[in-house]
Amino acid sequence: MFRLNLKIALRNLWKNKTSSFINVIGLAIGLAACLMLLLYVTYEWNFDKQAKEAANVYTTMTNIEGDNRKISGTFEGSVTAFGPAIKAALPEVMYTARMDYGKENLIANGTNAFKCKSKFAETDIFKMYDYEFIQGSAKTALNNPNSILLTESTAKLLFGSTDVLNKVVRFKDKYDLNITAVIRDQAENSSNRFDYLMPWSFYESIDESAKSINWGNYSYITLFRLKENADLAAVNQKIMAVIKNNTRNDFQTQALFPLSKLHLYGKFEDGKSIGGAIEQIYLFVGLAFGILLIACINFMNMATAKSEKRAKEVGIKKTIGANRTSLIIQFLTESMVLTFIAVVIAIALLELSLPAFNHLLNINLGISYFNAASWTGILAIVLATGLIAGSYPAFYLSSFNPVQTLKRKIGSKGQWSVSLRQVLVVGQFCFAIILIVATLVIYRQIQYIKNRPVGFDINALVEIPQDGQLKGKYELFKNELLQSGAVSAMFQSSVSLSHHGSNFMDVAWEGMTKPTNTVLFNQVATTYDFIKTNGIKLTDGRDFSKNFASDSVGVLVSASAVKVFGYKNAVGKTMSAFGDKYHIIGVFDDYVWDSPYKSNNPMVVFFDPGRTGYITMRLNETNSLQSNIETITKITKGINPAFPVEVKFLNNLYLEKYNAEKTLGILSNLFGGLAIFVSCLGLFGLVAYSAEQRTKEFGVRKVLGASVANLMQLLSLSFLKMIAVAIVIAIPVSYYAMGKWLIKFEFHTDISWWIMPVAAVGTLLMALITVSFQAYKTAKANPVDALKYE
Amino acid sequence: MIKIEKLEKVYKTEEVETTALNGIDLYVKEGEFVSIMGPSGCGKSTLLNVMGLLDKPESGSYKFIDTELLTLNDRERSNFRKRNMGFVFQNFNLIDELTVFENIELPLIYNKVPATERKKLVNEIIERMNIVNRSGHFPQQLSGGQQQRVAVARALVTKPKLVLADEPTGNLDSSHGNEVMELLCELNETGTTIVMVTHSSHDASFSNRIINLKDGHVISEKVNKSRNEELI
Repeated sequence: MFRLNLKIALRNLWKNKTSSFINVIGLAIGLAACLMLLLYVTYEWNFDKQAKEAANVYTTMTNIEGDNRKISGTFEGSVTAFGPAIKAALPEVMYTARMDYGKENLIANGTNAFKCKSKFAETDIFKMYDYEFIQGSAKTALNNPNSILLTESTAKLLFGSTDVLNKVVRFKDKYDLNITAVIRDQAENSSNRFDYLMPWSFYESIDESAKSINWGNYSYITLFRLKENADLAAVNQKIMAVIKNNTRNDFQTQALFPLSKLHLYGKFEDGKSIGGAIEQIYLFVGLAFGILLIACINFMNMATAKSEKRAKEVGIKKTIGANRTSLIIQFLTESMVLTFIAVVIAIALLELSLPAFNHLLNINLGISYFNAASWTGILAIVLATGLIAGSYPAFYLSSFNPVQTLKRKIGSKGQWSVSLRQVLVVGQFCFAIILIVATLVIYRQIQYIKNRPVGFDINALVEIPQDGQLKGKYELFKNELLQSGAVSAMFQSSVSLSHHGSNFMDVAWEGMTKPTNTVLFNQVATTYDFIKTNGIKLTDGRDFSKNFASDSVGVLVSASAVKVFGYKNAVGKTMSAFGDKYHIIGVFDDYVWDSPYKSNNPMVVFFDPGRTGYITMRLNETNSLQSNIETITKITKGINPAFPVEVKFLNNLYLEKYNAEKTLGILSNLFGGLAIFVSCLGLFGLVAYSAEQRTKEFGVRKVLGASVANLMQLLSLSFLKMIAVAIVIAIPVSYYAMGKWLIKFEFHTDISWWIMPVAAVGTLLMALITVSFQAYKTAKANPVDALKYE
Repeated sequence: MIKIEKLEKVYKTEEVETTALNGIDLYVKEGEFVSIMGPSGCGKSTLLNVMGLLDKPESGSYKFIDTELLTLNDRERSNFRKRNMGFVFQNFNLIDELTVFENIELPLIYNKVPATERKKLVNEIIERMNIVNRSGHFPQQLSGGQQQRVAVARALVTKPKLVLADEPTGNLDSSHGNEVMELLCELNETGTTIVMVTHSSHDASFSNRIINLKDGHVISEKVNKSRNEELI
């Protein structure tokens, strides 16, 4: 029976090549899009979930206390005292590991030197992550303070092989470390990635603040592995008690949060996770199945449109003994066969397009062909697709009464079936239109943010990290560069101009009414020429100057800081930070740093030559860019030979800030386009079928004098009406949805009036082209051929 | 073998009600070959459909060897049909996607006959119908007469007690038509009961008994003496 049904299915496919092609290609595209999105979703979903014990690993979050004992912000970070204190006090804690956030640092094998991501960690990190050791073992890897663990690719980068046990590498051009282990590269969807790992004991020996056990410096990550089934709420309660004992603070400054959830649920409000990237994941899952559903609808529509042809077969089979169940099974078999063919093509399409997709999103996705789970997933999707696509036709077709099917015509008269088909087409195009509108709005929003003035001219600015000799020999470096003419001005600062993230709250000002400040401030430490180089607008006062010895206790403050202070004429007034008093010598306009989507914290710029970090330079624009960069590289290399020269352009650094929304933009563009294409494919199929049905009618009409235009109108109108209905439904829905999306951004564009007409006319136009192509072909056909047809 | 009493069937549309069968009484003996004749719209096809359990009447009784069939549910009707009845249609109604062999095999599959026996049965009937060299062809590749032979073969392969034929020669020229009628007669002679709807008195002359229908009533019945004598 199955074999026979299969035969009928295959022969049917072969006989109706156009509709089979539309069905298979449509389904294949839908499945490929669905699988691709699901790959991406899986990648995101599995963030930090690779290790066996991942579910029991927690990271420490710090809450910032705001007004009225509310939590004004939450970030991942902790103090050095936290880990040991909690482990000693809580029986639920099995292991704890402190580590730093990781940094690009110099690592060298002789002259073979690279900047790679370093990390320091306590050895219990091996109890949380399942690193796969190629050389050495977890037991011995980080026991000695002078030891270092490399990843496979770092070992290959430095030595060209992984056989490097007991060889020596030089860290930061200062410390010689002994390689004790090599591990396989960590999964890309992992938060705590590094290129090389060093023991915490070594960190303590080179960094005073890491060594001091304190409750005030929130600059470290602390991971915990709790016993299985530990109650997180109870653990956090106990933690509160420990904090209170140690700091006399009755505010819950720190709490544990599952590490495997941080990536997707990393948005906190009032100390509680309220979502995050998971919203995008839901969106993509919706998109994936939406496209697949569109393809399934094509299938259903084609199948029911063809019901007249299939009805006869149903009738015959019923008279010679088939019951409804066997017919339903037959039609489902047919859709399963089709879906199976489609999924094979889909996997081929996926393989072809994945490299480009990976390149677009800058990730590395692939199908794991030897993974049972991925095959189970694909199989489940195939079965579900076959079932969804096949069920309606199967139940519809198998319900035919044999006498009617064999004696009378059936199909076009079934009012219900036609209207359902119309509903499905309208639904398809609704989805397509909503996607077009979404794409346009997302694109406009990205443009809007990009065009928002940064506050200074970023185009001629470059920055380099202030490494090695560039710290001590900064003045020499500055003189050489200015003399060379490549640079017109430069300054050193504790943080990059585009990214700060150095917050503090210990601020007081004249006439302050509150006992303590509750506004988070940002700090930058710099020396001379800060304003001269970056060109940020000074609204009052002046830049730091060598002419005023008192400038060492001077500060520049941002306009928003002045607003917090409540000063009328800020210059000349004082403020204090960390217990020291400072004179305000200048006020500058707020500029964009960190996230361009929200307004930034008030900022205080201190004068401190000791806090180095980055050097920012304004290029001399009378020279060519290339010669400027060559000169800078040469001079840098001359002063600081051990480090590679990394010149970064400020405008590129600002571009990187749009990545998250760029991904969203790319995905909505790509899959919106696909959704429309598959919808049009279905429409094409329906029109082609409808034209075939009416060949004779058209022939007669032509003989009676109908023009090509008449006939095209006749065939197209009913389809275009459906698109019109879809537009009427989709426009308000998308207006509402995109309005909600935009509101999430502090700075956002409006939905321009022209977006809706553009989406509507665009869709209508595409549908019109699809329909008229077939309509024209039919209408132009020789009437005699049409009449001979029957 | 068949006893039909007071059968009524009404077709309803939004505007009109058409009474297709208006209290028909009918009996068919085992081994008989009965023709049903009458003008268009007299209800003869409806009667055949009811007898084939393809359609349900409003009221009446239909007994098949003492089993009342009108009270059966869909599944039981379908089962009864596939075990006891075979159909031959005017427009052949072969499945275009299946070969001659597969078309004939289909009812056996629905009757869950094992594969080896199916093959044997189909080959036997193909030989008997003289279409051996056509068994791998698709219906469109055959002439009308050949298609109807395949349809008859399909109706017979399950060895049904009753064969229902609806204008079996309607789409055939006279020589092919005669071939099919002779086939039916041969079949009847081996003991199969046949009920045939026809317009043609020539075709009807092959049967034992001719029933005339008009407006849903039986208006006359005629025993075909020549044929009966032949039998004796």
